[in-house]
This record gives sequence, structure tokens and C-alpha cells, in this order.
Amino acid sequence: MCPAETTRLNFAVDATHFSRFHSGSDAPIWWGIIGLILIEMSVVAAFVISYFYLVMINPSWPPIGHPASELLWPTASVVILLMSCVTMYLASKAINRDRITAFVTHTSISVVLACAVLVIRWQQFQTFDFRWDEHVYGSLVWTISGFHFLHVVSAAIGTAVVATLGALKFFNSKQRIAIVVDTMYWNFVGLAWIPFYLVLYIVPRLT
Amino acid sequence: MKTQAIYDQNPEATDLLSRTWRSPPGFFGWFTHVNQSRIGYRFIVTSVIFFALAGVLALVMRLQLISPENTLLGADFYNQLFTMHGTTMMFFFAVPAMEGLGIYLVPLMIGTRDMSFPRLNAFGYYVYLIAGISLYVALFMGMAPAAGWFSYVPLANIAFSPGKGMDLWTTMITFIEISALAAAVELIVTILKQRAPGMTLNRMPLFVWSILVMSFMILFAMPTVMAGSVLLALDRAFDMQFFVAAGGGDALLWQHLFWFFGHPEVYIIMVPALGIVSTVITTFTQKPVFGYTALVLSLVATGFVSFGLWVHHMFTTGLPHLGLSFFTAASAMIAIPSGIQIFCWIASLWGARIRFATPMLFVLGFFAIFVIGGLTGVMVASIPFDSQVHDSYFVVAHFHYVLIGGAVFPFFAGLYYWYPKMTGRLMSERLGRWSFALIFAGTNLTFFPMHQLGLQGMPRRVYTYLSDMGWGELNFAITIAAFILAIGFLLTLINAVVSRTRGVAAGNNPWQAETLEWATTSPPQNYNFRHLPIVHSRTPLWDEPDSSHRQVVAGLRADRRELLITTLLEAKPQSVLIMPHPSVWPFLLALAVGFGFLGFMFQPLLFVAGFALSFFMIVGWLWPRKPWLDTGET
Repeated sequence: MCPAETTRLNFAVDATHFSRFHSGSDAPIWWGIIGLILIEMSVVAAFVISYFYLVMINPSWPPIGHPASELLWPTASVVILLMSCVTMYLASKAINRDRITAFVTHTSISVVLACAVLVIRWQQFQTFDFRWDEHVYGSLVWTISGFHFLHVVSAAIGTAVVATLGALKFFNSKQRIAIVVDTMYWNFVGLAWIPFYLVLYIVPRLT
Repeated sequence: MKTQAIYDQNPEATDLLSRTWRSPPGFFGWFTHVNQSRIGYRFIVTSVIFFALAGVLALVMRLQLISPENTLLGADFYNQLFTMHGTTMMFFFAVPAMEGLGIYLVPLMIGTRDMSFPRLNAFGYYVYLIAGISLYVALFMGMAPAAGWFSYVPLANIAFSPGKGMDLWTTMITFIEISALAAAVELIVTILKQRAPGMTLNRMPLFVWSILVMSFMILFAMPTVMAGSVLLALDRAFDMQFFVAAGGGDALLWQHLFWFFGHPEVYIIMVPALGIVSTVITTFTQKPVFGYTALVLSLVATGFVSFGLWVHHMFTTGLPHLGLSFFTAASAMIAIPSGIQIFCWIASLWGARIRFATPMLFVLGFFAIFVIGGLTGVMVASIPFDSQVHDSYFVVAHFHYVLIGGAVFPFFAGLYYWYPKMTGRLMSERLGRWSFALIFAGTNLTFFPMHQLGLQGMPRRVYTYLSDMGWGELNFAITIAAFILAIGFLLTLINAVVSRTRGVAAGNNPWQAETLEWATTSPPQNYNFRHLPIVHSRTPLWDEPDSSHRQVVAGLRADRRELLITTLLEAKPQSVLIMPHPSVWPFLLALAVGFGFLGFMFQPLLFVAGFALSFFMIVGWLWPRKPWLDTGET
């Protein structure tokens, strides 16, 4: 580019002192995670709608001989997952104030809570009194349970990594977008259990 | 400060910028590229190769049908061919080709340096490549899927399609959708957050609007087919009962899940094509397009309405008539936004001095072919008519008119139009005109007689027919015409390859177009723009013809990858984003995910292994940098 031409450039915006840090909707990754959550919500919706479609075309739901499952432990999972959303919220609060120890503690508690849910779910899998290949009811229960189980595993592993990086001082109140988006995804995984809980455990009692 | 390297005019800074954004050279370097222009280019080239492969499959099928009771192909191989032809054209050509254009052009059109998530971009490409190669390897091994591109159950169930072919289809469809979804998310984010200062939403080029609408449609349509194909894979692998009537499952559930994606899919392909048409018309009439707002609203309306049409693929399944009538109404309704667009384009062309270069010819071809496809579309939207021609060659004729008219013609228009931007050279006009003439004639000669064959009762997807049926002559003519069509496509392919080295040098803006991609060099540097532009109108290059007086952004550092983030609606400068370097992790992740998916077909536990491997790749990919505050930054 010849200098004579460029000397007349009109620098109308100067970005020199613009922030290089993002912590919310100014960051593309924030929107990216919203996109990911929308995609996953579409998958959740596809499963839930398929569930109701199959309820509709089947004369008895659940199939005769398979009473609806008991509610205690699935309900406990809902409560624990909601609690973990709260601890994740506290972790975000902590990093906003640069309190690294509190951050690591709260994220670790969240991971432990998620693991508790995984143990409970695994225990539940043992007590299902139907196989996935017997009837579409079993296929649905196993698939939806497995789908959510995998998501809790991913969220727990991801957050364990975030907690470790936090302990290694990778984050602070300015550089915390990774935590913001991890929390968003965590909340999605936690809240997604509610529609699944409703279709797996409440709907069979109503039909 | 030396490292500051302020974004100014001096040539040293330009060199530094160039080094910062460089794609590593060499064979191993190839797997680390993340620049959007590289990835977009790969998407386009790869999709054209798949287009050619699927075209060859079509020719082989036509050879089989050239005469009654021909024995060139057996029934099963013929089934594999039409399944692969449809699957390739829809999933491996049309969507990636449009996404490729989007990935290449959107950052240039909105005046930024790269997409929001360059590594995700690269990952999407490798996923696409792996999925495509796997399917074609399977075809050469004679174990390709053979249940049609929409894989209806119960045919696709394990009981009736026992081989690995269907497993490959279900896993590869899930896999390729990951690629499409990744591209969709980052196209959306890039368009919403990285537009040049001043490019408010209502100054955005129509092509960018169309890519935005396409991406949102992908976001809501593709997850359904993923869910569906996962359920089918589970049915096949673990004897689950989703689509098995004996176990309480339902075959129609598959059709709902598939077509809830499948119908929007048609518009996912067509909407960007409509964006191309608007772009080409604007440039070749040299005046702003008529009815910008109406065109944008039509694109958005098309996006919405297309989600309410899926049941019109299922008119003959015995669903309640009241419900079907709703879908007839919705199918007719989509003609409204389509009609508005056609009228806007006619108004744009009216009284203009049109330059009839090859891209414009393809756009005019689009009008003719697409309108014929649209007319038969209105016919098959009517239930009584559809009940007659369902699964016949009439439908084959209809959707080839729609897809070739609605996607291939505009894509070729776009190819001729943007080729000089991507390569720095113009394609040959002479070859282009010949190619257009042969494609236009070939399309009509091949597909128009199929309407007649369909009305005479010839069903689709039959590998042969008896001479008593009286379909022999038309089929013979169609096969000859198919080769004319193929020669037409071949000419463009030759044109593209030859012009790469022998074409006339294009310069920055060979067509005197108005959008920002023409403001930079051809081909663009890795950093796209030496200075990020500032925009004051819809047609920046026409309104500010003197490039030396353009308003630009200062203050982006040249020693690391930086670009400007702007606000969503008004595109006011907001902050600076630091972009990642080239990296091999996306490629490794694609391999890990591919291993998981392909492994699942043979041993479900390998999926878990793929899952674990992916975890390491993701951590490697996303490994953050320590805070930069110690370097004294704000």
C-alpha cells in the first residue's frame, strides 16, 4: 500500500483503550453458549415431544405390569441439582470479588453435588424393573436417563477442570468469562432435569 | 512501546499483522489452519467435490434406467446409489456449500478479521470431511446405506436393513449435523457481534441476512434429526423399540422427527440462495435492490413458516384430514414471502441496465427453473393431487426443479460472482456461458419429462421397469439429457480449475459491487482488511467511491490477533476480542469424536472411549492463558 494513499485515512474509531476482557453478553462465547443451550433445548424438546407422542399412541402407559417408579430419589436429584446451581452462583460471586479460595470451594462443592446425583441415578438404573428392549416405555426411560446422565458427567468434569484452573490462578474478577459460560451450561444441565423428571416420574402417575 | 505496534499505516506494522494472522505452511501446518477464509474455501471446494461424486452416482443410475429391464446394476446396489445420491446432495453438498460461502464471505461482508470461534470452524470442517469420506469408503466396499435419504422405518430398522450401512447412515448423519450446528452458531455470533462500526442491522447486506436466517433455522431444525437418528441408532444397536410397532413404538414418529428437520432443510438450502440472488441482482443492475425491508422480512417469514410444513411430506400416511388441511394452508402460505421476493427482484430488474454476465445468467435461470418447481409445489401441496403422484417420478421432477433451481443455480451464480474475490482471477465468460446454456437446457430436458413419467405411473426408486409400461422412450431421452446436464457442470468445474492460473486478473472489485468484501484485495489477506472499515450506508462502496477517504478503525494491535466487537443492533464499537492462534486440537477432537461415532457401530463401548478422548482434546483446545493484567493492560 503506498504511503501517499494511506496518509489520508480517516481513523474515526480508536480501539487502543477498549477493554480486552469480557464477562457477559459482550463476549462472543457468551452468545456461543446460548446457541449451544438452544440446540440442546431443541434436543430435549424432541425427546419430550416424542415421549408424549408415544404416550398418546399406546393404550396403557406405563405398560401393564410396570407400576410407576417411586419418587423419593428422583425428587432428591432435583433438589440436589438445584442446590448445585446455587453453589455455582456463589462461586461466580466469589470470583467477582477475586476470592479464589471461596471460588474453588464452591465449584468443588458443586462437582461433589453433581457426583452425588450421578451415584443416585446409577443406583436408580439398577432398580429399573424393565429393560430398554422390552417396550418403548423402557427405551424412553433408559435413553432420557442416559442422555441426562452423560450431560451431568460432562458438566461435572468441565467444572472440575474450571475449579482446578481456578486453583492455579488462571482466573480473576476480570478474566472470568470461562466461569460465566461454565455456570450457564451448568444451570442448563441442572434445570433440564426438571422436564425429564416430570415426564419420567410424574406423567406415568397421571396417565 | 515496541509491542504496542499501533495499528497505523506504516509498512512494518502491515508485515507484523501479516505474520500474526499467518496460516502455518506445510503439510502438518494444514491441520492447524483456523482463518475463516481458509476454512470457508475448504468447505466450498469439498462440497463441490461431493457434488461431482453425487452427480456421477446419478449418471450411473440413469444408465441403468436407459432401457427396460437393464442389467447394469442390481437392485441393492441401485438402492445404495440413490440413497448416497440424496444423502450426499442434501447433507454433504447443499448445506456445506452454503455454509462455506457464508463462512468465507460473511466476515468480509461485515468488515471483520475472522469468525468468532475460528477453531470451532476448523473442527466443523474436519467433522464434515471425516463423515463424507466414511460414507464413500463404505460405498466402495459395497456396504453403503440403502434405505433412501430419509431412511424410513421400518425399512431402516435392523429387521429389514441388517447390514452396517444403515448404522453408518445414522451415525454419520448425527456427526455431520454437529458440523452444521457448529457453523450455524458461529455464523450467528459473528453476524450479531462483529459487524463493522455503523453497520446497523438494517444496513446489513441481504446475503448476510440470509445466512443469519439460515443459521437460526439450522439451530432449531437439525437437533430434531440428530435426536431422531440417535433413537434409530439405539433401536438398531440395542434393540430399543422407538420405531418398532411390536414394542409400542411407531414408524410415523420417525417421519415426524425427520420431516420436522427435513422440510426446513429445503429452506436452509434455499434461503442463502435467495441472498445470493439479491446480491447478484444488485450488482448487475448497479442500483440498490428494490424493497430491502420487504426482502428481509420475507426471508425471516420464510424461515418461520418453513417449520409449519413438514406434514405435507406425509399426506399419504393416513393422518387425520383436519390436521392435513392446516399443512396444505401453510404450504400455500409460503408462496406469499416467496412471491414478495420475486416481485421485488422483478422491480429491481425493471428498467435497469442489466449486465448479462454469467452470474446474472444463472440468476435468470434460477427464476425460470425455480418458478416451475414452485408451481408443481403448489400442485403437490393439494392433498388429492399429492395422493395421486406421491412416490412417483412427478415428485422426483418437482424437487429437482426446486433444488436445482433454488440452490444449484444460485450457488453457481455465487461461484462465478465471488470466484474472483477468492482467487484473484475471473472465470472465463465464454466457458461460463456455454456451461450455463448446457445446464439450463440439460435441467429442463432431464427433469421436465419426469413429470410425464410420474403421471404415467412410474414410481420413484425402482431399479428397472418392464417394456410393456411404455416408459422406455422417455427414460432413454432423460438419460441422454442427464449427460448434457453433466457436461454443463463439468464445463464450470474445468473453468474453475483452469481460471485458477489462467484467468484474467480481477483486481479488488471487478463487478463494481457495493458491499465490503470488494473493498479488500482479491484474494483477501489472512487478516481480511488492513484497516477495519466503518460503514454509513447499505451500499458503502458506491457511496464512498474514493477508497483513500474511507473511515477506518485505529488502535487494534498487530502483534496478536485482535478484532472489534460491536453492539448487537446499532453496531457501536464495544470492545476488542483477542482471537486464538492456529491449533491442531480441533483436528484431534474431530478424530476423537469420529472414533467414538464410528467405533459405536462396531462396539458400543468405543463410544465411551471416544467420549473420554474428546475430553482431553477439549481441555487442550480451551486451555486458557494466565491473566494479562501483569502486562499493564486495561
